[in-house]
Amino acid sequence: MADKIRIKGRCVYPGCVEAEALVSPKPLQGFANIDTMNGYTVERRHPLFKVPYGGKVLVFPSPRGSGGFMAYGLGPNPPAAFVYNHATPLTVLLALQAHTPSMTDFERDPMEIIETGDMVLVNATEGYIEITKKSK
Amino acid sequence: MLKLTDEEKRTLQGEDGRLKQVCMQYVVEMAEIAGASRLVDLDGTGDMHSPGLALSQHYQITIDELREFAENGGRFKIPTFANKSPFPEFAPVHGWEHCHSCVRGDSSTMFSNPAHHKQSLHEEELSIMKKMGLITTHSCANYLVMSYFPSVGQHCSWFESSQMPYCNATLGARTNFDGTFATCILGKAPYYDMHITENRLGTILVETDRLIQTDLEWDVYGFAIGEAVTVNVPVVTGTSRPTTTQYEKFNSAIATGGAVRMYHLPGMTPEAPTIEHATGGKAFQKQVMIDNKVLRDTYDLLNFRTTDVIDMVYLGCPHLNIVDLMQIAHKVDGKKCKVPVWLATAPWLYAAAKEQGYVDIFEKSGIVLTTGTCPAAMGSLPAGVSCIAVDSAKQAMYLTGCYPDDDNRLQMAYGSQDDCIDAALTGRWRGEWR
Repeated sequence: MADKIRIKGRCVYPGCVEAEALVSPKPLQGFANIDTMNGYTVERRHPLFKVPYGGKVLVFPSPRGSGGFMAYGLGPNPPAAFVYNHATPLTVLLALQAHTPSMTDFERDPMEIIETGDMVLVNATEGYIEITKKSK
Repeated sequence: MLKLTDEEKRTLQGEDGRLKQVCMQYVVEMAEIAGASRLVDLDGTGDMHSPGLALSQHYQITIDELREFAENGGRFKIPTFANKSPFPEFAPVHGWEHCHSCVRGDSSTMFSNPAHHKQSLHEEELSIMKKMGLITTHSCANYLVMSYFPSVGQHCSWFESSQMPYCNATLGARTNFDGTFATCILGKAPYYDMHITENRLGTILVETDRLIQTDLEWDVYGFAIGEAVTVNVPVVTGTSRPTTTQYEKFNSAIATGGAVRMYHLPGMTPEAPTIEHATGGKAFQKQVMIDNKVLRDTYDLLNFRTTDVIDMVYLGCPHLNIVDLMQIAHKVDGKKCKVPVWLATAPWLYAAAKEQGYVDIFEKSGIVLTTGTCPAAMGSLPAGVSCIAVDSAKQAMYLTGCYPDDDNRLQMAYGSQDDCIDAALTGRWRGEWR
């Protein structure tokens, strides 16, 4: 059995879900740079350009840009959970829309541990995430 | 842990009616998510997307509830201004007859369709809201026409990325990104982030090796700083004293490249008479150099094209002020544009531009003056436009997102207002980072 890495953090919106991680190395932008019907970012030159986030644990450093950032919580196929380093009023707006498990303010930087494809249990209700690294 | 006053608890329990109860439920949930300890009584102004009765997917107010509230004397608690054209269409208030672009990719209707235009104004809701006190400025830069400003330290509730730093940094008032029907009706918002003095102090020193003094330099510098500091509060050096236009550019660019809601320009912005005031006397956590190479790379990033042939020009992100309109009118007076040109300003400045003779000059040059919105908000351009010229990092970033597919990828020529007007008159792009 693979080792699990547990990191404590602050619950933004409660709930518990386990899903595959999709990691955005760059901040994410909403408004006109998101396609909520297809469920992906359409920001040009973004590493996640047209990479679907539906059903994933979306891991990102911070939001940027417009209040339309909340659109990551809208549409037919939103992420299963949100994990991010920097909470701002934009992530508050996102949680208000999404009502899905969301966590921030971790004791260790989750971006340094989680890679796309890892399984991540987001237990926002109890205040931790648990990472199972994908087999190499 | 959120603590509410007895009065707030009564509103939450429905003693002030269902409309205020829903607003309080929404604001309380926002405060809990934000980790706020209490709500703050707003003594400044509000800015919201109208009509905005769907507060979120989970809290909605019906038009019948709105009407009943208004008939019983219900009012906005604070002076409240409408941002942009009514949501969700973001249709032009003026100039729409000439906007032959389809509505959000739906080719069955155009912004120039009178039936669509009428529907997109949401007159029923807005006529009620006006009676309740909503001031329908309908601009992303409604500070250009609001004629009533929050003073230093007043608590506000605004909603528009470029207006976050305008309110916090330029005016020295205090807002989070939360201006909604709910906060403006209640006159309350979660007390966290930019309402708290400590969170407004600068933590990153930004320097440059080039004197930032033109509108384009302010725009590029803003975007580059946003990318570098993301959500932190920078103390920005190396600039001239910004004009109103440059504040508009810088605030919109810094909140596009990043999500900067507060910054300091020592000796210029109200909370930073000196660097020591800006940081509260603390040491910087980090120093960032935005040198000319970074600025050039940023300029190149915002240009997104393989051609010099320009099909359209757009100026007005954020909305043009009256001096911008005057300068553009002078530059095109008596000349004919070779490609379609749209300008955008606040609806209330349309009458001023007409009075000044600018609308007449624009019409003779083949320029359309729109108000209330922009192509990125409208989500589409006229058919056949494959490369557009703009003078705004914000518009460049968002407008290309509207055309992400290989078969109709939008190309972007980004530069100064002069470069864009040259492109309008010649159909060619000759701008560069000089």
